[in-house]
Amino acid sequence: MKMRLFALTVLVSLLLVACGGAKTPAPAASAPAEITMMMWGDPAELDVWNQIVADFHQATPNISVKVEVSDWDSYWTKLKTLLSAGTPPDVFAMDAPLYLDYQSRGVLLNLQPYLDKNPDMLKGVYPQTLEAYKTADGMYGLPRDFQTIVLFYNKDMFDEAKVAYPSGDWTYDDLRTASKSLTKIGSDGKVTQFGFYSDLWDMELIWSEAIWAYGGDIINADHTKTLIGEPQAREAWQLFHEMMFVDKSWPDSTTAGEYGGDPFLAGVAAMTTIGHWAVPGYAEAGFKWDVAPMPKGPAGQTTSVNSAGFVVGKASKNPDAAFEFLKYVLSEPAQKRLAELGFACPVLTTVAESDAFLKQPTPIDQKIFIDSLAFAHMKPVFKGYDEWSSAIGDGMATIWTGEAELGPTLDAAVTAADEVLAKNK
Amino acid sequence: MTRQTQKLVLDFVSYGLLLLGSALMIGPFLWMISTSFKLPADQFTKTLIPPTFTFANFQELFSVDLNFPLLFWNSAYISILITAGQLLTCAMAAFCFAVVRFKGRELLFTALLLTLLIPPQVTLIPNFIIFKYLHLIGTSLPLWLPAFWGGAFGTFLLRQYFLTIPRDLVDAARVDGASLPQIFWRIYMPLAKPALAALAIFTFQGAWNDLLHPLVYLPSVPNTMLTVGLAFFQQQMTHGGKFTVLMSGALLSILPLLIVFFIAQKQFIEGISLTGIKR
Amino acid sequence: MEYGLKPLGREKLWLLALLMPTLIGLLFGALGSVIATVVLSFAKWDLLTPPTWAGTINYVSLVTDQKVLLSLTNTLKFTALYVPGVVVISLLVAVLMNRKIRGVSLFRTAYFLPAVTSAVATALVWNMIYGKDTGLLNFILERLGIPAVCWLCTDTAMYSVVAVNIWGAIGEGMIIFLAGLTAIPREYYDAADIDGANGVQQFFRLTVPLITPSIFFQGLMSTINAFQAFDYIYMLTRRGQGDSSIPVVVFSIYRNGWYFFNYGGASAQAIMLTVVVAVFMALAFWLERRYVVYE
Repeated sequence: MKMRLFALTVLVSLLLVACGGAKTPAPAASAPAEITMMMWGDPAELDVWNQIVADFHQATPNISVKVEVSDWDSYWTKLKTLLSAGTPPDVFAMDAPLYLDYQSRGVLLNLQPYLDKNPDMLKGVYPQTLEAYKTADGMYGLPRDFQTIVLFYNKDMFDEAKVAYPSGDWTYDDLRTASKSLTKIGSDGKVTQFGFYSDLWDMELIWSEAIWAYGGDIINADHTKTLIGEPQAREAWQLFHEMMFVDKSWPDSTTAGEYGGDPFLAGVAAMTTIGHWAVPGYAEAGFKWDVAPMPKGPAGQTTSVNSAGFVVGKASKNPDAAFEFLKYVLSEPAQKRLAELGFACPVLTTVAESDAFLKQPTPIDQKIFIDSLAFAHMKPVFKGYDEWSSAIGDGMATIWTGEAELGPTLDAAVTAADEVLAKNK
Repeated sequence: MTRQTQKLVLDFVSYGLLLLGSALMIGPFLWMISTSFKLPADQFTKTLIPPTFTFANFQELFSVDLNFPLLFWNSAYISILITAGQLLTCAMAAFCFAVVRFKGRELLFTALLLTLLIPPQVTLIPNFIIFKYLHLIGTSLPLWLPAFWGGAFGTFLLRQYFLTIPRDLVDAARVDGASLPQIFWRIYMPLAKPALAALAIFTFQGAWNDLLHPLVYLPSVPNTMLTVGLAFFQQQMTHGGKFTVLMSGALLSILPLLIVFFIAQKQFIEGISLTGIKR
Repeated sequence: MEYGLKPLGREKLWLLALLMPTLIGLLFGALGSVIATVVLSFAKWDLLTPPTWAGTINYVSLVTDQKVLLSLTNTLKFTALYVPGVVVISLLVAVLMNRKIRGVSLFRTAYFLPAVTSAVATALVWNMIYGKDTGLLNFILERLGIPAVCWLCTDTAMYSVVAVNIWGAIGEGMIIFLAGLTAIPREYYDAADIDGANGVQQFFRLTVPLITPSIFFQGLMSTINAFQAFDYIYMLTRRGQGDSSIPVVVFSIYRNGWYFFNYGGASAQAIMLTVVVAVFMALAFWLERRYVVYE
């Protein structure tokens, strides 16, 4: 009995303190509500989100959140099953490029009315991260963190080969030269160390950035034509192809698969381009590394910005409570916790530029991720994105195993991709 | 060549072939075991003996906040329920299909077999919707309740086995005045121990290794089955490039199956000796 | 083949009782899977919005879509390689193990081990074995002076994956055949010994005919399994997040239904698969009537 009274007292006093604070949002729903939140992630993320949810519950005691985290593949299977049965989770995570596939099919709640009632809510958020979620009749989702792609390099390998670390002035030619110097080929012709590796299936890791840097583009404005086969884009593809098959400084996809898909992490490639999500995993690698901005091309310096966001299911029974949770996710306390988690970059400018993000346990130049926003292009988002990127990824896969020629295969992939676009109009 | 020598030679050859085959069969597992005791830095080395023997991978497995005991327990009781359900209801149906004459028997059996043909990726959604209307989502019932409604594989397997049991046994029992259920329970079930053991092994293994169904019916870690927990965990390990930990997780998930196999194996030996005596 | 007891009087109720669970399950199965799939194959469904009627458009694309035809060819090729391999090898193993040799339970465990694990777990090991530059298999081959092979490249991927699937299924087949072999009474062999038949004669004249029920079962089940093979193909031949280098029908169903918002198309492909397997099933039953020996 005494314990319960004590706990109640503590709770009440916490409530009073919480309500007294200026920044915490006032609870909007008066009836107690339980909402489910589903997302993809690693077990480490589950722990932090449970903490965020606990904090949220303290701030808004009448709303409790049930968190469900799965791995990427499982997540989409689960989500689609739930949506097909008409029982979606209240809040769920969304990858920006796939957003329109869901929004256009009417399963997301339009958040604009709520946003209109809370005009200051998005003031502190990086505008580039909001772009993907804007549609003609409002925003149906909100970003929770963002990713920019930067260049990671293995300091030990650079020191050993006596090559200068990558700088912000590097061009793609510099990248190629350095990769060559860092590639070691044994007497039997087998490469024992590669200069560079990046994934070529999805555009986000290297090829969209390179195409933009050479002055090309991925897709036209109204999403009816694929542009990756245009002359300027072809220069980028040519560069990759020569690095892989002439210089041999970039492992082909079969070889990369033997290293678990990440030769950089496996310690056989000196450089890679990837986003902040890799940092916690790399932190446990056995070598010293750091980050640098993406290289420049003839058309300038570019990188890709993508975000993971939250959306509310249209069939949700607690839309108000769900929105309250989204509001909390975009507030400083939650963004701080996410920053400390180290998987992504917080969308709130104040937090991103604070020590919570900049002074993380891993001793690398965190600021590069934020500064890259200045020259970042948004990862394209349109209906049919999955099928379109598969048409390209699958279509070009045989180039990167060395089984097909670059030119004609690229053309065939572009044709297949355009067919998907036509189908989804 | 005398009969004795012929037998000896055949035994020798059999032994040799079996030994060679076993090497191929368990080779990958030796590799798996070896890798799970290696340091992540050594994970690509080609030696069977780890350069540095370590338990670190298993420690990491248990340090992850995934509540392995609960995952194990869930997988265990659900798999056991599924196996029990199948053993019972498939035997009942197989008996009817193999031994009893009734109108439409062949047609019904064919219809049953047809249900085997649709891949689970396609039946997942219609079944999920049905369970939703039965308000059973969120419980473990959708996973094991269907096991009590028979199954094409189990019925087929047992039917084949029942068909090999000599008809004169049944005729003799009929003469003695045995009824249908008595024939089923007193004659066929005891004789079918080897096939029942086989079915138990397969069913348990299928249930234990299933990822798709617990994924949608028991979505929250850790109150789910082991496969879901491991898939969730594996993603992190792949990002961290720690195949050694992945291997140790895989190893642990196999252990219970091996134990079940050992237990069910005894039935085999009993079955062999029983058949010898009874006939 | 008219065999069986005729249920007398009240026993008819018992018959119903014994069959009831299966009948309910059939209803569930028929409704839940087959009918739903057939209906959906005539619809356009993206899982998120309600299904819309689409007529025969999914079936038309079965014939016109190159990818679908490729997946069907791959599936048939896979089956042709897999089924004989599994049946013959597991029968051989079971026969060898049925002799009274010492340590048989250890052998049984060794051969059953692959069947006991999950494909997700062992596929990781097989990736390490099949690796082109870092793989164990090429490592051993090079030691023996044989040039390395790219096991998972498009040309050889089919054979490599079939081999892994056979490896994983020998245990199951072995158990089925062992169960069938133990049902053959000892006296038959003793009588054959007395008649002067040697080992090989006994095998072909006595053993094989008497385990035709098991061969029939294992042959049919392996065929069905071959048509539905997914796990190892998914784990070993997928390129990143994309397609497999040897896409089979189930893989195509998975991608269409779960990635391309094309559940209607996936259902049509599932029906196509069912029809093809049903043909094989009919063939198997015809063979059963002609060749399978029941006592």
